[in-house]
Amino acid sequence: MAEFLFEILAEEIPAGILPGAREDLLSKVSAAFAEARLGGTLSVYSTSRRLALVGEGVADQQPDAETEVTGPPASVGYDADGNPTKAAIGFAKAQGVGVEDLHVATFPKGPYVVAKKVTHGRPAAEVIGEILPAIVSKMTFPRMMRWGDGTPEWIRPVHSVLALLDGLVIPMILFGVESGRTTFGHRTLAPGRIVTMGVPDWFQKLRAAHVEPDLAVRRTRFEESAVALAKEVGGAPAPDPALLDSWAHLVESPCVVRGSFDPTFLELPEEILVTSMREHQKMLPVRAEGSLAPYFLAACDQIGDPKGLIARGNEWVTAARFSDARFFWDEDGKAKLEDRLPALGRLQFQETLGDTLQKTGRIQDLAEKLAARLGLSHLDALLVRAARLMKADLVTDMVREFPDLQGIVGGLYARREGEGEEVWQALYDQYRPSSAEDSTPRGDVGCAVALADRLDTLTGLFGLGLQPTGSKDPYALRRAALGVVKILLDRKWRLDLPAACADAAALHGALPRRKDEVLADLSAFFLERLRFLLEKKGHAPDVVEAVLTTECPDLADAEERVEAVEAMRKEQDFLPLASAFKRMQNILAQSPEAPGDIGEPDPAKMTDDAEKALALDYLQAKGMLDDLVAHRRYKDALSIMASLGPGLDRFFTEVHVMAEDPDVKENRIALLRSMRGQFVRVARFSEIRG
Amino acid sequence: MDLQTLILKLSAYWASKGCLLEQPWDVEVGAGTMHPATFLRVLGPEPWRAAYVQPSRRPADGRYGQNPFRLVKHEQFQVVMKPAPGNIQELYVESLVALGIDPREHDLRFEEDNWESPTLGAWGVGWQVLLDGMEITQFTYFQQAGGIDLAPITAEITYGLERLTMFLARKESVYDIEWAPGVTYGEVRKQDEYEVSKYGFEVADASLWQTLFEKFEREAGRCLDAGLVLPGYDFALKCSHAFNILDARGAVSATDRVGIIRRVRDLAARCAKAYVASREAQGFPLLPKAAAPPAEYEAEHG
Repeated sequence: MAEFLFEILAEEIPAGILPGAREDLLSKVSAAFAEARLGGTLSVYSTSRRLALVGEGVADQQPDAETEVTGPPASVGYDADGNPTKAAIGFAKAQGVGVEDLHVATFPKGPYVVAKKVTHGRPAAEVIGEILPAIVSKMTFPRMMRWGDGTPEWIRPVHSVLALLDGLVIPMILFGVESGRTTFGHRTLAPGRIVTMGVPDWFQKLRAAHVEPDLAVRRTRFEESAVALAKEVGGAPAPDPALLDSWAHLVESPCVVRGSFDPTFLELPEEILVTSMREHQKMLPVRAEGSLAPYFLAACDQIGDPKGLIARGNEWVTAARFSDARFFWDEDGKAKLEDRLPALGRLQFQETLGDTLQKTGRIQDLAEKLAARLGLSHLDALLVRAARLMKADLVTDMVREFPDLQGIVGGLYARREGEGEEVWQALYDQYRPSSAEDSTPRGDVGCAVALADRLDTLTGLFGLGLQPTGSKDPYALRRAALGVVKILLDRKWRLDLPAACADAAALHGALPRRKDEVLADLSAFFLERLRFLLEKKGHAPDVVEAVLTTECPDLADAEERVEAVEAMRKEQDFLPLASAFKRMQNILAQSPEAPGDIGEPDPAKMTDDAEKALALDYLQAKGMLDDLVAHRRYKDALSIMASLGPGLDRFFTEVHVMAEDPDVKENRIALLRSMRGQFVRVARFSEIRG
Repeated sequence: MDLQTLILKLSAYWASKGCLLEQPWDVEVGAGTMHPATFLRVLGPEPWRAAYVQPSRRPADGRYGQNPFRLVKHEQFQVVMKPAPGNIQELYVESLVALGIDPREHDLRFEEDNWESPTLGAWGVGWQVLLDGMEITQFTYFQQAGGIDLAPITAEITYGLERLTMFLARKESVYDIEWAPGVTYGEVRKQDEYEVSKYGFEVADASLWQTLFEKFEREAGRCLDAGLVLPGYDFALKCSHAFNILDARGAVSATDRVGIIRRVRDLAARCAKAYVASREAQGFPLLPKAAAPPAEYEAEHG
């Protein structure tokens, strides 16, 4: 058994691709080792300049492999005396074995000549020397790079390839670089050549040359230093696991420096300071006693900062960024959001859909229509105000500088201008939820304008035929639709969504696609998002399917039905109902509904007892079901439906639905159809798995 | 350190590494990349090493001389090496040492930052170089220019001179740095900034610049039709500048923007193609005498 070491040293590898590249390299090489019968356990290491694999228990030599190849039938291969014929001799020659290595084996078709071949294992180094270049050179990245004469193509230029099996070099050539036992230390702290004898030696010499190859070790060291440095000034780093991950990928030698900034910058809104630190400078803000403290923590690729040069440099940059932000904050304050509306008229929203001022107008109109549908018309004045101002921050310097803060900046400016809480919060929260995990806007006003904004965008772009295709979603319409669904569910707003979409579409005027097609596409689009959210909340996929295959104009109502079915499915009389529904479905499928053919069953035409009994139960239940469904008492409705289960079972056992007499047959079908019509007001139970 | 010392040190350093000291291009450009010593020289098989200062104009960045960091007109120090030597990053780090920066005492990082110019049909991959958290250099391996895949690959290093001087001198405003001992940048440039900002945002005659754009575009086409690559390229640059002025003036709608960018890109692509053809017709004069261009190169671009 041998130890294995492989390291590619490249120019700085983008931090964003490292997680995927590590995973990809490890899984592909592990699989190739297994397939080549080399075994071993591999682990992956990486830094900002390296990708490496370390293996234990790798075979020095592939084990021999035996294979058997079937030749001619025994009767052809051997003569009556048991001597090999020309056919057998030829077969042995073709297989590269001697005639004496042939034997006869019996198969279902009879006895055949079989050649036993032994493939001798090759030295592991030889095999690995083929596996690695094949895998590494085929790794793909979102943006490939060519270098040198323009031929090699990878993520960044490769400088050295180290490959050892039990201390011996595994020969290979990767991107024109010959493998060996050398690598290099930290770019600035110990740039010299390192000669490696094996795995422990590699770890030891790299660490001595200020390179920590273990990602987890770097991350822990970053986190511990950040906590300790923040504690020295009585604070704690703002929790940010994603930033710590990114730090760990950005360096070879993890080190944190703390810097401070002029506390007068704390007069600026926290959101702006935090975004500047985190997004622009990849710094961790420090919090103390619930608010931002005038310190930051910066990651660096170093072993320390004894002269404070790094801290001072970062302080200078931070002060410059903050001064810039303060400049924008003050400059932007010279014009009110209201005064910026004319500039929105010059900011295009979409070529055909007009400018942003026009969009703002449509949002106002639509918000009022939504309010009327939702019984929120008392909020009209606030909705109109919020809708009117909500896009004005797009033409501020602050948003041009901090695009991620769109909406938030508008909210902060509106608050500064003295707008009421509902209005400034509506502006602040308008882009929420930004994901399935994010929360929705804080109040009714915020949710209504956020909804109106998204419905306007969705109906407009779908109307132009610009809906997402495959992985392409340049207008982030999936996120917009998810926002619509999430807001409706969170607020439990009873909205006829297709009708609201029709309102939104009407405000666009003429668009190329037919309105009914657009609305149908949009309904399906919303249902996909609804399905995703409901399943994410932990609802069973079959229950979700059972509800979403019924009419669902009201998404919050659909969620209630899912909850009711989910609760009900635990009851023991539920499963018979599901299977009865399936039989009902199967029979009705054989008799397609003719237009206008929705007659109610006529008890007078019923002949069998089971049929009469079911009809009696059902007609009684129907009145109650109408009432319960109308009041959204779905659990009670489901109990009533379940109580019909035994009667249905008896009906299917005793009654032949497809009776000879067409009148009797039609009447039975009408009964089943009417029942199904009642059931699917809650769910299509045939989707429920037992 | 003052601005001109920085320029002198960088020039001396890169000249010592075999770079020819080019001079600034005399047509308005938005970045040192647009200088023919970069945009055209990255094309084709000929080796090339050059360094130069390029004043760059970005009318939309104007702040009337009131913002301590933003300028319409700023200076870039540009280095191009083709093919990029294998030790180009080490050469770059050494250039910092030449400026008196000891990298062992600082935090030096190369963070992914890819570059793309829609108007030039050009893109590259590389990094922004951060020194103690400050972006001091843009480092790019050119992959495509004028829509043509490049081979061999050029490394482009762009130092933002004002920023770097501010950082080294720890000044909080660009106007406070020294251009030469005893003379501040503000004394030399502040009024200019006010004037070019006011011109770009308030005074520029949009219909004149619209007309100029059309005429420059037509003239570029005429030059290229006549086989004159460099005059054609100059007029393409003038189109790009006219677009920048119109943009700062708020005279370009988002719809027009796409169309105008495409028109400039088409010109840049024509220039690139014409340049390669012209160099080829001259027998690629800068190729080492013994070496002929690789066969596949001709197949691809010939």
